Amino acid sequence: MAGGAQEFVEADNAEAIITRIEHKSRKIESLLKQSRPVEALKTALEGAPPKTRDERCKSATWIVVHRAIMAIKDVDGMFSSLDPEYYDILMKYLYRGLSTGDRPTCDQCLRIHEKLTEKAGLGCILRCLADTGNTV
Amino acid sequence: MAAIEVHQFAQCITCHAWSSDHSMVAFCPNNNEVHIYKLFQDKWEKLHVLKKHDQIISGIDWTASSNKIVTVSHDRNSYVWNQEGSEWIPTLVILRLNRAALCAQWSPKENKFAVGSGAKTVCICYYEQENNWWVSKLIRKKHDSSVTSVAWHPNNILLATTSTDGKCRVFSTFIKGVDTRESKTGTTSDSKFGEQIVQLDLSFSWAFGVKWSPSGNTLAYVGHNSMIYFVDDVGPSPLAQNLAFRDLPLRDVLFVSEKMVIGVGFDCNPMVFAADETGIWRFIKFLGERKTPSTGSKYGSQFSGAFGKFYGQSKYGVSNDGVETSRTSGGVHENCINCIVPLREGSTSRTTRFSTSGLDGKVVIWDVQNQEDLLDYL
Repeated sequence: MAGGAQEFVEADNAEAIITRIEHKSRKIESLLKQSRPVEALKTALEGAPPKTRDERCKSATWIVVHRAIMAIKDVDGMFSSLDPEYYDILMKYLYRGLSTGDRPTCDQCLRIHEKLTEKAGLGCILRCLADTGNTV
Repeated sequence: MAAIEVHQFAQCITCHAWSSDHSMVAFCPNNNEVHIYKLFQDKWEKLHVLKKHDQIISGIDWTASSNKIVTVSHDRNSYVWNQEGSEWIPTLVILRLNRAALCAQWSPKENKFAVGSGAKTVCICYYEQENNWWVSKLIRKKHDSSVTSVAWHPNNILLATTSTDGKCRVFSTFIKGVDTRESKTGTTSDSKFGEQIVQLDLSFSWAFGVKWSPSGNTLAYVGHNSMIYFVDDVGPSPLAQNLAFRDLPLRDVLFVSEKMVIGVGFDCNPMVFAADETGIWRFIKFLGERKTPSTGSKYGSQFSGAFGKFYGQSKYGVSNDGVETSRTSGGVHENCINCIVPLREGSTSRTTRFSTSGLDGKVVIWDVQNQEDLLDYL
């Protein structure tokens, strides 16, 4: 729900969200050190996108999600332990990744996109394209 | 096979409706005319052409008992057609809209009809005996965008609407002198005309196609984000279920029973949704035969399949096996289905037969009675 009230308190909220993302980022780094990339990706996607229109928060979230996406080596293996509830939000970040135009990012996003579409169907893409409320 | 009859009536059909005995069908072949066909010994013949509108007809509804047809059009007007002898006589209904009318439906008692429009309004029209005139009362300033679909509650008072602002709303349409107090029920008993009972804010994208279950206890509508929404206890504290599915979005829905819903849309193949004993709704299956779940090798072409549909099909990439699999999948409809109409037998609340029409110009009659795996939900 595009909770109107929530969006207006965001100025104070933004700092809190940034702090939370920084915390998340540290957690992801430690998971990656333990070679648990899928756990890292789940952590990154958890609670994303932040419930705010603040671009700083969105970019900060994208940076941690991007870090986790790029750390995925075995895409098939990832899907064996990634629950379907993450599919829609992951798709949104894949499109954000593709929009950067950065070669390695696009390569990785396309690789995951192929498998994700196979798993989640065209409906998942539609949900990502049609959602104007929760942009990432 | 669940499809029992397939009729190619035109190049493209925007909407259709049946006479009460299902011997005649009225449809708009994507222009400003309504064609009425009748079945003569296994052959459908064109009986009438209703020609009065100036632009594309976007909604047709035929009453079940009083043999009246209402048509609405992008020309912002509506006509109520009465059959006198062999002729259909139109009566103009001035809707007082400044944008196109998009959909129309008769109320269950057939004393009112509702029209959704691009002017962000809903018209409730009723007949005034003393003036021999159809009056249009507007529900204004409630929608933030076009009203894509309207559905009457069986109590003849409540009207559900969907809109391209993504919301589904329920209004009271109580009109003094047309409706009686007794016909009101429960929580809505003191609401005036145009009062909003509830606004459902579940979708972030366009909402299309809304229907009530036969009892009026459940409401279903669809979004352009490949989601279908089921709402119980419509009122101050509604209970909603959002169901995401893996295929292309739906355009319209129909309750076959309290526990079963058929959804039609861009996937060209009706989808069956059903609720189990605990009331949880699930996607069950496609009604037409269906491509096998896509494998790795087919995935790339699945996307081209969507493009094939997008560009109007066969001309583009027929050789592509993706287009083939998705287009011959159900084999019945070859383009987006945008209209689903129940074929009610008598006064039972159960509908096992219904018809669909779409951009491929076909009207297809389906029966779920012969689908053994679905009988539990009927």
